[in-house]
Amino acid sequence: MFGRKGPDPAGQATGEALRLEGVRKVYGTDGNRVVALDGVSLSLPAGSFTAVMGPSGSGKSTLLQCAAGLDSPTEGRVLVDGAELTGENETELTKFRRQRIGFVFQQFNLLPTLNVMQNVVLPLKLAGRKVDRELAREVLGRVGLAERLGHLPAELSGGQQQRVAIARALVTRPHVLFADEPTGALDTRSARDVLGLLQESVHMSGQTVVMVTHDPVAASFANAVLYLADGRIVGHQSAPTAEAVAERMTHLAEEVERQRTMAEA
Amino acid sequence: MFGLALRSLRHRTGAFAASFLAMFLGSAIIMAFASMLDTAQASGATGTARETLSIMANVVGGWGLLLSVFAVASTLTLAVRQRAQEIALLKSVGATPAQLRRMITGEAAGLAVLAALLGIVPAMLLGRGLLGLLHGTDQVPSDIGYSFGPVALSMGIGITLVSAVAAAMITARRTTRVRVAESMADAAVGDGRMSRKRIVFAVLFLVAAGWEALITVTVMDGKGSDAMATSGQADILAAIGLALLSPVIMRGATAVAAGPLRALGSAGELAAATMRRRTSALASAVTPVILFVGTAVGTLFLQATENAAMDDAGLAKTAEQKSIETLNFVVIGMVVLFTAIMLVNTLIAAIAHRRREFGQTRLAGATPGQVLAAVGLESAVLTVTGVLCGTVASVFTIVPFGLARRDSATPDGSVWTYVAVVALAAVLTGVTAHGAARRAVRVPAVEAALR
Ligand SMILES: Nc1ncnc2c1ncn2[C@@H]1O[C@H](COP(=O)(O)OP(=O)(O)OP(=O)(O)O)[C@@H](O)[C@H]1O
Ligand SMILES: [Mg+2]
Repeated sequence: MFGRKGPDPAGQATGEALRLEGVRKVYGTDGNRVVALDGVSLSLPAGSFTAVMGPSGSGKSTLLQCAAGLDSPTEGRVLVDGAELTGENETELTKFRRQRIGFVFQQFNLLPTLNVMQNVVLPLKLAGRKVDRELAREVLGRVGLAERLGHLPAELSGGQQQRVAIARALVTRPHVLFADEPTGALDTRSARDVLGLLQESVHMSGQTVVMVTHDPVAASFANAVLYLADGRIVGHQSAPTAEAVAERMTHLAEEVERQRTMAEA
Repeated sequence: MFGLALRSLRHRTGAFAASFLAMFLGSAIIMAFASMLDTAQASGATGTARETLSIMANVVGGWGLLLSVFAVASTLTLAVRQRAQEIALLKSVGATPAQLRRMITGEAAGLAVLAALLGIVPAMLLGRGLLGLLHGTDQVPSDIGYSFGPVALSMGIGITLVSAVAAAMITARRTTRVRVAESMADAAVGDGRMSRKRIVFAVLFLVAAGWEALITVTVMDGKGSDAMATSGQADILAAIGLALLSPVIMRGATAVAAGPLRALGSAGELAAATMRRRTSALASAVTPVILFVGTAVGTLFLQATENAAMDDAGLAKTAEQKSIETLNFVVIGMVVLFTAIMLVNTLIAAIAHRRREFGQTRLAGATPGQVLAAVGLESAVLTVTGVLCGTVASVFTIVPFGLARRDSATPDGSVWTYVAVVALAAVLTGVTAHGAARRAVRVPAVEAALR
């Protein structure tokens, strides 16, 4: 278990925000089975900002999708804010997600036909919740887009689109915000803005954030890093610096390489 | 490039299925009617028999031709547009616009020749049936035998090939002119602005429809069944005119529908918001509905009024009138066939194109049920708009003919005929949209949105 106390600046409750118990995810059928997650257990406290790192294909995206209820694990349990993520079908999983989970992707995933404001309030409307436009406007102001409410995604830069996506994920006040390479398609400057926003939401509103990234600098914005290799958690690092993360990643790559050659031999 | 064209065809049978079907049916119908000219030629028919055969070939065959050219063009345009991404990709690896145009027209030409060749046998059977009909009603003496020859073959293959290549060239030009960056950006959003040319054509068609209506109530007043000749086409002309105006019409319709839709809850909100930006796509989907309702309602009630007028006069139908009735139904049959192909094809393509959008909506918190409900509401707006416009178009035929034939603006015939046509349009739209949307949401949301 890799738990760590969050910064807890505003006296937020420091319960457990996310818990995974022995989560396995197997893709494919007998002939070509891929074990993407091989028994992952972890516990993250509320108000923490965790980065997930690992070589390509190590299962980072799968981990996030299982934890966020976008996919169901083959085995194991996922608990978000104490509630077990269960659901026979997509409709039930969607209803579970609406109340507890926000998600940000590398490709933004804004609806091209809706403007900034409409995109941000969409999750509230779909959930049949009262649409608090003041709150939406405030969140959009916080991400620096107060002036662009009527614009379509195609009229915004990548960085701006990602900030809209973050505003959309935050407006429902989810317990946990998941982000899969949120800065993967952005230049350094926009990436820093986005990371700053994620960090701010942790510090200011006690949000819990889990972020997959390939970038040691991005990981250094988090207060802990989890390392994943071949579907297993293989390391943990607190208060990471970019240099320390980069070094660890180099070792990890070598380690994985060595284990693979040993396995083949 | 031709090799690439063939390979591309083999991997995209789905996208081209509708074009192929339209070409196949179109060429079969064109050849069947054109073979009446071969028959007249080979048998040495003279007088009224020859005249009947050539009217059959030219008038009814002419409508078949117009319809099939329209269907081929519309389905092919969609098939090419669906590949905007692939075309952008080819461009980004160095294909020139000329190469791409050759590839696209090459595909269309290959498809057209194949479809026309396969259409020959059904065309022969159809033509034989047609001649049998003319024999049966004594319009053509029974010693005139059927023949299928050079006129049918050259018209069938020629027209199918030319219309396919022309449609492909126009679309290819439009698709390949877009710059690489733009087409990669996948701007699926059209706001339905119309070109000046389109407006001019729309006005021309509507004026022509109005003119036919005017001639019917003035010149043809009291001329009996002959009034059919001028009023019968007014509905098609008006329907084409309205179909050309469909982007504007859909913009109006979505604005009007937005209020009621929003009152229906979250799915309605979603439908209202997305429809506003998708008027171009909606316009191409409403076109076949307008054509279908306009011509079907117009022709069916025209015939009902004619039948009532004959009953009033206590007259039995002559052989010629009977065959006109049959031909009216043949025309309706063709209209239903081609507009149904266009409708189903347009809807399936439009919805398959939105798989990613549906995935994104689901990631934003929509249940599959909400997505399906939003699509259902969209098709409802589509059907209502199409039915209203189609009904307006049919009035151009029904009212003038009623006035000329029976001095009554209200047509004869049963309300249930109208209900049946509307129901068919609604079921076709609803079932196709729902089926396609179901297929689209069966893909896991993450996969649909990210891949
Ligand atoms: N839908 C799927 N079907 C089959 N195998 C899959 C599927 N999705 C992922 N996998 C496999 O599961 C493993 C983990 O994939 P995952 O996408 O989680 O990796 P990742 O760590 O996110 O990699 P990257 O850094 O490249 O994004 C990989 O071997 C991948 O090929
Ligand atoms: Mg990944």
